[in-house]
Amino acid sequence: MTMISASPAPRVGCRRCAARRWFGIALLLTLFLWALTPAAQERSWVVAFANLTEEPGVTLEGTGFTGRDVHEGFALAARQWPIDLVFYDNRRDPQRALANCEDAIGRKVDLYIQYNADAGANTAVGRQLRAAGIPVLAVNYPVPEAPLYTLDNRAAGRIAGDALADFGQRVWRGKALLGVLIGHLSPAEEGASQRAQGVSEGLKRRLPALAMVSLDTQGNTARVGELLGRVLTAHAGSKALIAAMDDTTALAAKAALEGTGRLADGAIVGHGVDRSIHGGMSDRKELDPNNRGSIVLGSVAFYLDRYGYDVLPLAVRMLRGETVPMRTVTRHKLITAANVFIEYPPYDMQ
Amino acid sequence: MKRLAIVAAVLIVLVAGTFAFAQTDCTKVVPPSPWGPTDQTGATNRVTPAITKAAGAEIKEGKVIPMSYPLVDGVPLFGTRFTKTILTATTLAPGAALGENQLTYMEDTWLSQSHVGTHLDGLGHIGRKDCYFNQIAMGKFINQNNMTKLGLEHIKTFATRGVLVDMVKVFQAAGKFKGNAACKKPCLDKGTVITAADIQAGLKMYNASLREGDILIIHTGWGDLFEQFPAQNATYNGGEPGIGKDAANWLVGQKIVAVGNDTWGVEVIPGENPKEAFIVHNILITDNGIHIIENVRTDLMAAEAAATQRSTFFFSMTVPKAVGLTGNFVGIEGIR
Repeated sequence: MTMISASPAPRVGCRRCAARRWFGIALLLTLFLWALTPAAQERSWVVAFANLTEEPGVTLEGTGFTGRDVHEGFALAARQWPIDLVFYDNRRDPQRALANCEDAIGRKVDLYIQYNADAGANTAVGRQLRAAGIPVLAVNYPVPEAPLYTLDNRAAGRIAGDALADFGQRVWRGKALLGVLIGHLSPAEEGASQRAQGVSEGLKRRLPALAMVSLDTQGNTARVGELLGRVLTAHAGSKALIAAMDDTTALAAKAALEGTGRLADGAIVGHGVDRSIHGGMSDRKELDPNNRGSIVLGSVAFYLDRYGYDVLPLAVRMLRGETVPMRTVTRHKLITAANVFIEYPPYDMQ
Repeated sequence: MKRLAIVAAVLIVLVAGTFAFAQTDCTKVVPPSPWGPTDQTGATNRVTPAITKAAGAEIKEGKVIPMSYPLVDGVPLFGTRFTKTILTATTLAPGAALGENQLTYMEDTWLSQSHVGTHLDGLGHIGRKDCYFNQIAMGKFINQNNMTKLGLEHIKTFATRGVLVDMVKVFQAAGKFKGNAACKKPCLDKGTVITAADIQAGLKMYNASLREGDILIIHTGWGDLFEQFPAQNATYNGGEPGIGKDAANWLVGQKIVAVGNDTWGVEVIPGENPKEAFIVHNILITDNGIHIIENVRTDLMAAEAAATQRSTFFFSMTVPKAVGLTGNFVGIEGIR
C-alpha cells in the first residue's frame, strides 16, 4: 500500500513541478518578448504643439516656410511615435498662447511644445504648465527652465559666408570682390542680425579684406533689383558674392543680375531651402541636379518643414523620463544642386 | 586636323567609357539572390507547379473580378510621363478595302512609357547607386534602348494565389481611420503608414494567412481618386497611403512574389523618413526580387471579400516578354 500510495505521490509532485516550470518558461518568454518590443508595449502619449502661427502665407523665421509647413512636418513625424498630437495656433498673440496652454492643461496633455515668440507669454505658459505637472519643450524661443530646440542663425549665416568665400577664392582669384548682404535686415526679431553677422564672419574668415555692403529690402522683394542694380553699377569691375537672407531674395537677386546683363559677375547663396528654390523630378527649380551651372550656388537649410522629426524624439525622451539637453540646435547645411535630391528626395515619379 | 579630331574622339570615348564603367562594389550594396549568382528572375522563382496547382483550388465558381484600371487619356501620370495611342493604319478610305471580300483592317501605335496605369515594376526598375537585384552592376548592362539584364523576359509566371487585405476596414475596426475628403468612398489618407501588424490584422479579418509564393493585394481606397480622373489627379499623385519599412521587411519574410495596391507607388508617401527615397522599393525589388504592382483596382475584390468573407483568389496576370524592359502595364483578374 505504501509503495502504491507512494508511487503516485512523486508523479503528482512532478506534474506540479512541470506546471511550475512551464509557467516559469511562459513568464520568461512573455517578459523576453515584451523587452524585445518596447514600442508596441509603450503607452500612447498626448502631446500638444502650439504653433507660432498658422495664418496662410505668413512666413516664419525669415525663411519661406509657413506655419502650415511646420504643422505638417509634426503630423508626419508623429507617425513614428506612440503620440497623439493636439495642434494649437498661437497666432503670434500672447493672449491666445495663454488660452491654448489653459486648454491643454484642461485636456491633461502629457507634454506641451511651445512655439511662440513673446517672452512674457512664454514665462506665464511655462509657469502654468509646471504647476500642472506638464513638461514643456520650447521651439526657437525660450520658455524658462524648459529644454529648447532652436535654429542657429549665426551658424547658418557662417555656412553661407563660407560657401561664397570659397567660391570667390576658387573662381575669381585675383579679381576685385564685393560682399553683398541683401534681404530683410531689420525685422524686430534678432535672428536677422545674427544671420547677417554669421555671413560676415564666414566671408571674412577666408577673405578678411573683403568690402561688404548691406542692402535692406525691408521685406519687399521687389526692391532687390533696384538696390542691387545700384551697387553693381557703382562696382562695375567687381564680382559680387551675394548672401541673400532668404530664398525668395536669392531668386530675385539672380533675376536682377540677369536683368542688368551681369549674370557672370555674381554668385548667390540663400537661406531656408523652401519649395520656392528646390523641387522634384518634374518641377525644375533653381536647386536641381540638372542646373549645376546656376549662379545660385545653394541655400542653407533651415528645415522648418522637418522640425517634427527633430523635436518629437526629444519629446519622447522627456516623456520616458530621460534627460535631454537644455539646448538642441538645427543641423544647418548647405544644399546645392549636388545634394538637393539626397536631402530632399523627390517623389514625383513612379 | 582630321587625325587630331579622330584622336580627340577616341580619347573622349575612352574617358566617357571610364566614367560609364566606374561602378560600385555591388556585393557591399545589395544582397545576393537566394536563387544563385546568375539569377535574374527573383521572386517568381517561387511560383512552382505545386504553387500554381494549389492556387487553382481558389477557383470555385469561375467568377472573374477585374483588377486593372482602363488605360486611357487623362489617368493620373507624373510629370512628363505619357501614354498615347495613334490609329496608324486604316483601310476604311474609299477603294482601300482588300480583295473581293472587301477586307479592311486597322492597327495602332502605342506610344507609352511602361510604368503607366496598372503596371508591374520589374527587377531592373529600382536600384541602389548602380547596383540592382542580385548585385548586378547595371551600368554595364544598359544601352540606349533597354537593359541587357533583369528585363521582363526573365520573369516566370504570376499564376499563383492572391490574398487581399482591406486596410480601410482594418483601420476602421482599430478606430484609427483617417480618410481624405476627396475620396467618394472611404480611403486611407496620404501619409498613412500600413504596418506589419495592420497587414496581419487584415489577414485575420478574413481568417487568411500568407504562404510562400502568394501575391498580396492591399486595398487602401486611394484608387477611388484614380477612378475620378482627371479631376483628382493632383491629389492622387500628391502622396498616398501605403506600406512602411516594417511591413516591407515582414513581407520579405513571408516569401511572397509580389505586393500590389491601389496607389501609384505601393509605399507610404510622404515616407517615414524624409531623407529616404522610395525605400520600400529598395527593400522589396532591389534587395529581395519581390515585384511591386501599382494602380491595382482593388475595390471590386474588397467588396467580394467582404460579401463572402473570403479574401483569397487565383491571381491571373500575364506580363509581355518585352526584352530588356523595366516594367509594363498589365491586365489582372482575380478568379474565384
